[in-house]
Amino acid sequence: MEPRDVFLHVRGEAVFVDDALLPAEHLFAAIRTSHVAHGHVRSLDIAPAMAVPGIYEVFTARDIPGENQVGKTILDEPLLAESEVHFVGQPLAIVVGESAEAARRAARAIQVEIDPLPAIYDVRQAFAEGSLIAPPRTFSSGDVESAWEQCSVVVSGTVESGSQEHVYMETQSAFALPTDRGGVKVVSATQSPSMVQLVVARILGLPMHEVEVEVPRLGGGFGGKEDQATHWAAMAALAAWRLKKPVKLVLTRHEDMTMTGKRHPYLSDYKLGLDAEGHMLAYEVTFYQNGGAVADLSPAILERSLFHATNAYAIPHVKAVGISCRTHLPPNTAFRGFGGPQALFVLECAIFKAAEALGVEPREIQKRNLLQDGDAFPYGARVERCRQRRCWDVAEQKYNLQAGLKEVRQYNGRNAWRKKGLALMPICFGISFTSTFLNQAGAFVNVYVDGSVGISTSAVEMGQGVNAKIQEVAARIFSIRPERIKLETTSTSRIANMPPTAASTGADLNGHATRLACLDIVERLKDAAARCLGKNAPHEIEIRDEAVYASGEATELTWEKLVNLAYFDRVSLCAQAHCATPDIFFDRDTNKGNPFAYYAYGTALVEASLDCLRGTCSIDAVRVVHDFGRSLHPLVDLGQMEGGIVQGVGWMLLEEVMHDADGRLLTDTLATYKIPDIHSIPGEIQVHFLEDAENPPGIFQSKTVGEPPFLYGIGAYFALLQAMKAFRPDAHIPFSSPMTPEKVLLALYPGDRPV
Amino acid sequence: MKRIIQLTINDKEYEVAVEPNQTLTDMLRYELGLTGTKKGCEVGDCGSCTVIMDGIPVNSCLVLAMQANGRKITTIEGLETEKGMHPIQKAFVEKGAIQCGFCTPGMILSSKSLLDKNPNPTEEEIRAGISGNLCRCTGYQKIVDAVKSVGK
Repeated sequence: MEPRDVFLHVRGEAVFVDDALLPAEHLFAAIRTSHVAHGHVRSLDIAPAMAVPGIYEVFTARDIPGENQVGKTILDEPLLAESEVHFVGQPLAIVVGESAEAARRAARAIQVEIDPLPAIYDVRQAFAEGSLIAPPRTFSSGDVESAWEQCSVVVSGTVESGSQEHVYMETQSAFALPTDRGGVKVVSATQSPSMVQLVVARILGLPMHEVEVEVPRLGGGFGGKEDQATHWAAMAALAAWRLKKPVKLVLTRHEDMTMTGKRHPYLSDYKLGLDAEGHMLAYEVTFYQNGGAVADLSPAILERSLFHATNAYAIPHVKAVGISCRTHLPPNTAFRGFGGPQALFVLECAIFKAAEALGVEPREIQKRNLLQDGDAFPYGARVERCRQRRCWDVAEQKYNLQAGLKEVRQYNGRNAWRKKGLALMPICFGISFTSTFLNQAGAFVNVYVDGSVGISTSAVEMGQGVNAKIQEVAARIFSIRPERIKLETTSTSRIANMPPTAASTGADLNGHATRLACLDIVERLKDAAARCLGKNAPHEIEIRDEAVYASGEATELTWEKLVNLAYFDRVSLCAQAHCATPDIFFDRDTNKGNPFAYYAYGTALVEASLDCLRGTCSIDAVRVVHDFGRSLHPLVDLGQMEGGIVQGVGWMLLEEVMHDADGRLLTDTLATYKIPDIHSIPGEIQVHFLEDAENPPGIFQSKTVGEPPFLYGIGAYFALLQAMKAFRPDAHIPFSSPMTPEKVLLALYPGDRPV
Repeated sequence: MKRIIQLTINDKEYEVAVEPNQTLTDMLRYELGLTGTKKGCEVGDCGSCTVIMDGIPVNSCLVLAMQANGRKITTIEGLETEKGMHPIQKAFVEKGAIQCGFCTPGMILSSKSLLDKNPNPTEEEIRAGISGNLCRCTGYQKIVDAVKSVGK
């Protein structure tokens, strides 16, 4: 994080969207949504809403001047429902009033009559009825069918993984101001400013240059503001543009939880074959993804599940099928890991079952099959600079696995009602957007005559520390104090056609773009210095720690003097640069290619304690060896690691999204939906930065961190399973996350049999 | 029908006209512009709106503005003095206890309230002290570290 930003946060001065001072005349919007999961809208009577005091206007689909469409690649999502509704919480109308309270009261007063139609919530039923978001995809390598006969052991089964609510602490929010040219400026809490710009332009029927989108900062995103911040921004924009007044729209937590999609629940069928030594030979998996009512990012998320179907392992014969099912739930969407965690979880379940069949420990199978240089993924890419085995070996030694296992055995021997379990979790995660075209970003660097620097990039700061990293990049290239450098807000007027800040790519793409822009300015400054000093060629000039050297000798020039001199010499002190990740490609017809710039590797040891009477589990420790490359900002990276692990553990053990039989969200407040609080975090998180881990494609040899740590959380599930097995070796434990205390007890005490 | 209340906020006397159903959070944010108090859930689950009222940390979303009549309130904006930032503010910066920053004001006020009563809390006491505040970014460890560092 930019140092100045953290000072703003501790003083309460950092301005989030809902904190901004707006003109006194501004209005508030609220949304009326569908209370039915699937149905025909018979009538929508707005008259009672207009009768509420303080109400200015109610907008429905017919008030949209442009196209009523917020879809991205698949255009299947209206901003406001027209004749049909497809999920509980789907927006039907926008109410604008002089207070948020009045607007909400009026929204509730709208009379909506909906004739229900049959609704689908289950992926198997959706698949059987052909309710798909896109045609199924298959990634394959080798020949799975003929490989089964070579296997000594073949296991198969089903794995369920649950949904997960993002719970970014700042709810979805936006405000919009009409411009004098008939356009609109939108301040939005979005990870995708350019997407918001495109959709607002489409909704209003304007060219994109009449729509400016600015993002100050986000109070967390985690993917939940990648595609699904757009709607609220577009609604505020529509209202502001129609009424010619500023309009603010901030969702309450309850509205946010009911209207927005979450991590996709998956139901997966697997079959895994191994030889007698535990080599994984063949793996077949079908992922049924619960996409919800519209496409959103589901096909792209499903694609990443296919990319990561084999996680950190080399398996020669693979067939992975992905089926994105259309159901009548809110559209599920991006969430840290983007389909990767769901895929990793399935294979780890298969390994757990295979270990039982082979009479070995899962870690033996894991270790035997780890990737190494030269191995290929099912999609054809070969692994280079692979550090999968190194991370594992270092973790085993550094955290003394053998001693840990012994302690667990002894503890379990001593305790009848408390058991411990220890699991290892190796992870491999590809870094790049899998849609190759998104791997581009821009930076715009201004050096002012006093030597201060302002940088705009495509990156949105949401707590992941991307601004701190970009600041570090510029400080290194210019060789000046970081305090001279300010990271500007993210704006579509300064950087055009941005990718979302997502897929863990923010630091790399924007760091590289910033580096290129800064290098341009440095070249110009060196030319200016050489001209001024008169004795040296530009390549003999060096700027080091705010001072200017010529042929290694100190000169009278400092950074400030040089900048000033260059200005009077009429040298441009602004530069724009564009970065496009080189050497990546992917062919969606053959499903082969090299879609990732590099991979993140690591291994975690996870230790769990189980109270066998209450079914409650606590994670004693998560100990990680992770390949950060050469970390650009260790404190930021460590923060990402700890936060990601806790989120991952939450997904596996704690966080349960539930709907009733009519598709209404039951877990619709933070009282009924539990994210990890201080009492549910691991007792200890240790992180070791793998040494000698240069990463040439990364910015300054670093590796990006955002999503991969989440995957370590999966280890918590298997540590818990080990503890459950220690209590009851014959327990039949379903592969179903989250493994809540309720499910633990049902598995430990099947039927009504008392112990 | 608005009523006038009198209260002390960050050592300053205020007279504010409030609606009977207005929360303290909304009064601070929208009547007085003290937007450091954040709205995360509005039903007392997340702790983002924590302020200190007469020495006790409260979820200001669960306090009606009228209930604050005659009370002494400290918000995040009131922590810094002429002598500079409060040690807990500095510790949050130094220990990397901030990611997105949205929960930070509430976390800091819960921590301050704990430290005022118990200048040397154990890790267990720290955990209890901030157990009403949710953070989705950090995993809490660095927040605990920050509070611990001030305690020493």
